[in-house]
Amino acid sequence: MIYYLILSVLLAGSAFAATTRRAVNAAGALFYAVQAAFAVWILTGGRFGSASGGFFTYDALGTVFFVLLAVVSLFVFIHSEVYFRDEDIRLYRRYFSLLMLLTTAIAGVYFADNIAVTWIFLEATTLCSAGIIYHRRTAQALEATWKYVFVCSTGIATAYLGILLLCSAADGSLAYSSLAERVASGNPLYMKTAVLLVLCGYSCKMEIFPLYTIGVDANFAAPAPASALISTGLVNAGFIAIFRVYKVMASSEAFEWMRHVLILVGLLSLAIGAMFLRRTNNYKRFLSYSTVENMGIVAIGLGIGGIGVWAALFHVICHTFVKSSLMLQVAVMRHIFNGYRINRIGDYISINRVGAIGFIVGTVVLLAFPPSPLFVSELMILKQIIADGQWWIMAVVLLLLCIVIYSICSRIMRLCYQPNLDEVHDPKCEHWLSWSAMALLAAAMVLGVWQPELLRDVIDQIVTL
Amino acid sequence: MILSFVILFVVTLVYLSITERYRNYAVIVSLQGWILLAIALLRLHSVNWAELAFVLAETLLFKALIVPQILFAVIRRTKINRVIGSGSSQFRSLVMSLAALAASASITYYIADQSIDMIFFGVALYALLSGLILIVSRQRIFSHMVGFLVIENGVFLFSTAIGVEMPILINMAIMLDILMSILMLGVFLTRIDHTIHADDADSLTKVKD
Repeated sequence: MIYYLILSVLLAGSAFAATTRRAVNAAGALFYAVQAAFAVWILTGGRFGSASGGFFTYDALGTVFFVLLAVVSLFVFIHSEVYFRDEDIRLYRRYFSLLMLLTTAIAGVYFADNIAVTWIFLEATTLCSAGIIYHRRTAQALEATWKYVFVCSTGIATAYLGILLLCSAADGSLAYSSLAERVASGNPLYMKTAVLLVLCGYSCKMEIFPLYTIGVDANFAAPAPASALISTGLVNAGFIAIFRVYKVMASSEAFEWMRHVLILVGLLSLAIGAMFLRRTNNYKRFLSYSTVENMGIVAIGLGIGGIGVWAALFHVICHTFVKSSLMLQVAVMRHIFNGYRINRIGDYISINRVGAIGFIVGTVVLLAFPPSPLFVSELMILKQIIADGQWWIMAVVLLLLCIVIYSICSRIMRLCYQPNLDEVHDPKCEHWLSWSAMALLAAAMVLGVWQPELLRDVIDQIVTL
Repeated sequence: MILSFVILFVVTLVYLSITERYRNYAVIVSLQGWILLAIALLRLHSVNWAELAFVLAETLLFKALIVPQILFAVIRRTKINRVIGSGSSQFRSLVMSLAALAASASITYYIADQSIDMIFFGVALYALLSGLILIVSRQRIFSHMVGFLVIENGVFLFSTAIGVEMPILINMAIMLDILMSILMLGVFLTRIDHTIHADDADSLTKVKD
């Protein structure tokens, strides 16, 4: 793992030092070759399930999400290359080196087997993301960057206090496995305080209540292709950080309490998502609120327990494909229109038919209509809620999902069919970009109708770990 | 001895809630750095050179010297001297700060765990709440930064109280946190004032729905 990190950082550094676009792209190609080789090495080199360097582990959770990260990051790189075709070389190389560093830092979070190492890599993702968000160097980008760095740092510092509490209650252990063994005998009130601090702090990365706002602002200000990585890979990093604490707490007396908190956080996130999906006038913020809503569903799944945990994991995996696809479609849309304003952009179906179909199909999948894989996960979560007899949660979730469905449908219909009031730059944009974004959507739809035995086994393994 | 330093740390937090001049904020942040240095040195597990180097870098170099100097530079450059609105806000802040102190003491009392140094936990919690109060109740960005620095100091104080298996890892994490605060101060010093000309959080309202 250490060699992987060093090699990835060196390649990002070489992209930063490059003087031509070709050299940056070559560094990028090498970087993704390293990611692919690393994934293959873990899966076929007998490293799967083993530890590395005392601080990392190639477990099922980290490996599955790393493969997803590598795929999404590669798509983001390719789309960014077209997106920044006319960009100044200094900004171009800085953006791509930060993209590679962000991918590396996220991978560090995925594989970390030590609660302090997870925290360190999460903090590193803040640094890399801040550079990407500030890419445009406008007043808006600066404001979003400032808010992102400030709120993330405050949140992460709060989470760190929680981590220290957890460690001190578990005789100074920092590794997840020994933490899990020792928290069982810990003071429940102490554990509850620690969990609350960690959950509150990491919510800024997972884009759930209470610190969800900065994720939305970050996606708004960052270049559209990078938003695809921020709203999937980085959100997944926050999810994994919380999920590992969730597994640690499973043997503690405070676990039941943590599950109740997760349900509350999930419902509030879902409510905020539903409310702001109707209010916002910007397609990127709109998709970001959809991330808040989906992560709310995931939190409810974790909180409800049983098959809800399996469903939550499956939901996160499929959401990665769907959301990255839609964010990349937004990047294609940005080539054509001046901005992302919902009340001005329209008639997309006749301007870019492929892109519009990508949006419509993406919407159907995002709204969890069959054959969407999100239908499978949401149905499983609802089944578990019914099995537990939590009817009030069921009622609130269904009501909020109805609002979400109405909001998303109305917005996407406006994009495709309302008269366009915005300036159109290049109606003959490169359709292959829309097609490539749809490839990610197709992958999600395949998972909707057929979940490979291997994936089922891996998720089972993660849930039972 | 350590207890006196911890009490002094609490006093700085209470004073932070009533002072309105930014120079005082910078002085308090510096003073907290010196207090943390003294506590960290007194609590060193053994004379380990790597740990000692980390402690000196984190507290003396960054918390007591560099960060306060940057704060003074920000004050000079932006010419902001005090929090917006004086008078009643002082009393309200003091009440909120004392309520936070009472809440921290109550939680510490109810937890009453033998395995943890409860005084450090209580003070760290109070620092966290004080920082959050400063961020939420004050309007200017400068106060928000000081709030964040206070939270960081509270976290550092608690980290000195716990014995972990790998203290070097904890120190690295703290160092990264300090790096973030310096980055933030740098952004404020070199970018925000140039681009937005803002000393007021109300000016940062372009990114919204």
